[in-house]
Amino acid sequence: MGYLISRKAADQLFEKLSESHDIFAPKCFPGEGCFSDTDIIRYGQVRSLAEIEFEHRSDYSFKEALLAIHETLFYFTEDTTSVPACMDRRLLIFLRSCDLHALKRLDAIYLHNGPEDFYYKRLREKADFVLMGCEKTCDTGFCASMGTNRADQYDLYLKLNQNTVLIDCPSKSLRALINTSDAGVCEVTPDYVTENEEKVTLPENLSVESFDHPVWEAYGSRCIGCGRCNFVCPTCACFTMQDIIYQDNARVGERRRVWASCQVDGYTDIAGGGSFRKKQSERMRFKVMHKIYDFEKRFGYPMCVGCGRCDAVCPEYISYANLINELAKEEQP
Amino acid sequence: MNNAYLPFSSTVTEIIRHTDIEYTFRMSFDGKVKPGQFFEVSIPRYGEAPISVSGIKKGTVDLTIRKVGKVTDQIFENYEGSTLLMRGPYGNGFEIRNYRGKELFVIAGGTGLSPVKGIVDYFADHPEEAVSTTLIAGFKSPKDILFREDFLKWEKRLQVIKTVDAAPEDYKGLTGMVTKNIPDLPVMDRSNTAFITVGPPVMIRFTIQEIVKLSIPEKNIWISHERKMCCGLGKCGHCKMDSTYVCLDGPVFNYAEGKYLID
Amino acid sequence: MGLDINTKKAKKNAYRISKVRGESAARIRVPGGCLKAGILGMVQEIAEKYGNGTVHLTTRQGFEIEGIRLEDIDAINEMLQPIIELLDINQTDPGTGYPASGTRNVSACIGNNVCPFANYNTAEFAKKVEKAVFPNDLHFKIAFTGCPNDCAKVRMHDFGIIGMTMPQYDPSRCVACQACIKGCRSLSVNALRLENYKVVRDTEKCIGCGVCVTKCPTRAFTRSPKKYYKLTLMGRTGKKNPRLGEDFLIWTDEDSIVKIILNTYRFVKEYIDPNAPGGKEHIGYIIDRTGFAEYKKWALEGVELLPETQIRECVYWSGIHFD
Repeated sequence: MGYLISRKAADQLFEKLSESHDIFAPKCFPGEGCFSDTDIIRYGQVRSLAEIEFEHRSDYSFKEALLAIHETLFYFTEDTTSVPACMDRRLLIFLRSCDLHALKRLDAIYLHNGPEDFYYKRLREKADFVLMGCEKTCDTGFCASMGTNRADQYDLYLKLNQNTVLIDCPSKSLRALINTSDAGVCEVTPDYVTENEEKVTLPENLSVESFDHPVWEAYGSRCIGCGRCNFVCPTCACFTMQDIIYQDNARVGERRRVWASCQVDGYTDIAGGGSFRKKQSERMRFKVMHKIYDFEKRFGYPMCVGCGRCDAVCPEYISYANLINELAKEEQP
Repeated sequence: MNNAYLPFSSTVTEIIRHTDIEYTFRMSFDGKVKPGQFFEVSIPRYGEAPISVSGIKKGTVDLTIRKVGKVTDQIFENYEGSTLLMRGPYGNGFEIRNYRGKELFVIAGGTGLSPVKGIVDYFADHPEEAVSTTLIAGFKSPKDILFREDFLKWEKRLQVIKTVDAAPEDYKGLTGMVTKNIPDLPVMDRSNTAFITVGPPVMIRFTIQEIVKLSIPEKNIWISHERKMCCGLGKCGHCKMDSTYVCLDGPVFNYAEGKYLID
Repeated sequence: MGLDINTKKAKKNAYRISKVRGESAARIRVPGGCLKAGILGMVQEIAEKYGNGTVHLTTRQGFEIEGIRLEDIDAINEMLQPIIELLDINQTDPGTGYPASGTRNVSACIGNNVCPFANYNTAEFAKKVEKAVFPNDLHFKIAFTGCPNDCAKVRMHDFGIIGMTMPQYDPSRCVACQACIKGCRSLSVNALRLENYKVVRDTEKCIGCGVCVTKCPTRAFTRSPKKYYKLTLMGRTGKKNPRLGEDFLIWTDEDSIVKIILNTYRFVKEYIDPNAPGGKEHIGYIIDRTGFAEYKKWALEGVELLPETQIRECVYWSGIHFD
């Protein structure tokens, strides 16, 4: 059961939500794109519905709202460590179906692979999720192929029309904030796409044998190892720990973690000088196999949600989607 | 909620100097720990380094540290009467029960001896629990030999082949790669053997080639993988090989499964 | 019958007097080298109707229609009118062609319409300057380039405008991948280093090329909202003392550049050698005569530089001397 409310009432709802929540959503950062006079859509705190980018998929995923690019784990003083306090307000994150499916993947790593991650969990528990529907497919996404085009694990769904807003609110606590006195009651089903322009067939018989496939060299030789594909990916969860010393007091410092990329130099470097995947083709294989093969072996479903951001961002026009299709093509009799 | 990233403080109770760049730090530790597991050892402000457990005694663990990076350099500079921060132990470690009643062969290169040293110690203390225990340990040169005192003990109780890759002319011990010694190992019942090999990736590869030539079943071979470790908690992703997180599921693998792990 | 042509007038009207007796070449200015493709057809039409069917692409991004009979100038001026209007060239009398030719076509590299390295829209700025300076007949060469690669070779011009951006660094978005550092080292001036896993920019060294921004995979480095430029002065080719232009202003803005160029016209009018052949003297030689201090006084009159602008109080040129 959903509601039809006026745009004004929706803005009021946003105000209400802002009282208890820090609201993160995709928004346009003008001029902050890679090239001059280009914009970027990424997550940031928003103060109104109007600020949210509903039209286009964000270039960077929602993950930075839950998993900061740069997070202090604790501070060192002389002999003590202190953990930074968690935000005391709740978190509201606007995201699309693909990203909501990605959340499940992040949960798998951060909550179910080994011990629970203290920092992820404390934020995750504070987070509510607002589904943004997709009326039409984005350019490079292939969510329909991955079965991630529909999501039902949302707390709130909002669809902005010209003057009205459709709402579905499975979350009881959020529902209490909706002023239903003027609201029309109606059936609300989130918009979703049933077909994308990009279609991907997952290979079914991947194995260690696939490591020798020529596709890795073919695509890997074009890769410059910049890591953009990892950084925009909603499911890439790797990080690296860093210890730093404050410049004006060498006895004080902090330990933090920052996002890491398996495509960038240094990812497998061990002390003393060894490293394990020196060639970009090996790194490409490592990434792709993780997304469509070995994560599934461990957790039962593929890691990739088909958001298509990696293909959209690659400066070398490497199509991960096409690479997968190449792998699948080989399997056909 | 438990914050697994927070280290605890541990006192350096003793230091055993093997070479100029390899010391064993005996650290106070009371918890459960197995040979082959590792700790994340840190000097705050410099970072963490994964260090294998090279010995276990009541109330202490030995960590043999090679001075090869920013963190270990700091450990060597600042250990004097001090404490180190540690997290762990992490990883699966070696299970003694896999080797009991077997003809056990341990083949280790350089600091690769550390993770497996607990096993060697165990069977040196309980030789009757294995049919036989043979250690082949290789080092770069005579001055790189680790655990000299332990060797004296092991040589009395186990079959020990200690070799160096290269040595000055007056060196009286064995020279040559560890792999050279494998074909002549006195294997009696292939099906009742256990081989453990730990060392640099290249050494492991060639060692396994030699072991396989002896017609040893793959399931009788164990390896320990050294990989980039960061969190030790299955999160950071650096140590992943295929669907395996070395920090959670390893670093010790039975070769029958481990051989499918490709970086 | 002998031709009776005022060649001075024809030259000012943007016709080059050909070595072939009775012929000339019609010069078309294309500010910023950017034009609608339809204009090409108009150029073709003139070339085929009145010329010998050949068009030269000039080094300054204009067209020169070859083999024009001098007596056809008026007819050609009529045909040039739509081109002049489409390219929005300042004109005094419609239908009479170009009112001046001394100030050469304002040229530009392709700029940020296409090039990933460019820090601004070169064609747009070129057009803006063209609007401000034309039809001035003094011999000025002005060129725009999107970044310090200087593909437009602006340092061989009297005024070279090089696009800059002031890198904005958000350490909280930085993952220390070092793409910026490697990029700056290999493609630019090695002004970045890693300290405590964060990037430190040597502001003295940084030339504002923007390589760090294009290389950054996380948007830790972004461009400044404000566009900045470097203004180089008095580069030239020529017989006596060819030389590269030298930096005058670094981290300056559009308005200052336009004002300085306009001020320079006043300066030249004041100091040009009255006996200069064809009333044409390179500005640089005039400054060589008056001294840079005097030029600077004129150039900066009424100019309000940005607080962040670095100014070279003295500028010295080198180059090759044949005189």
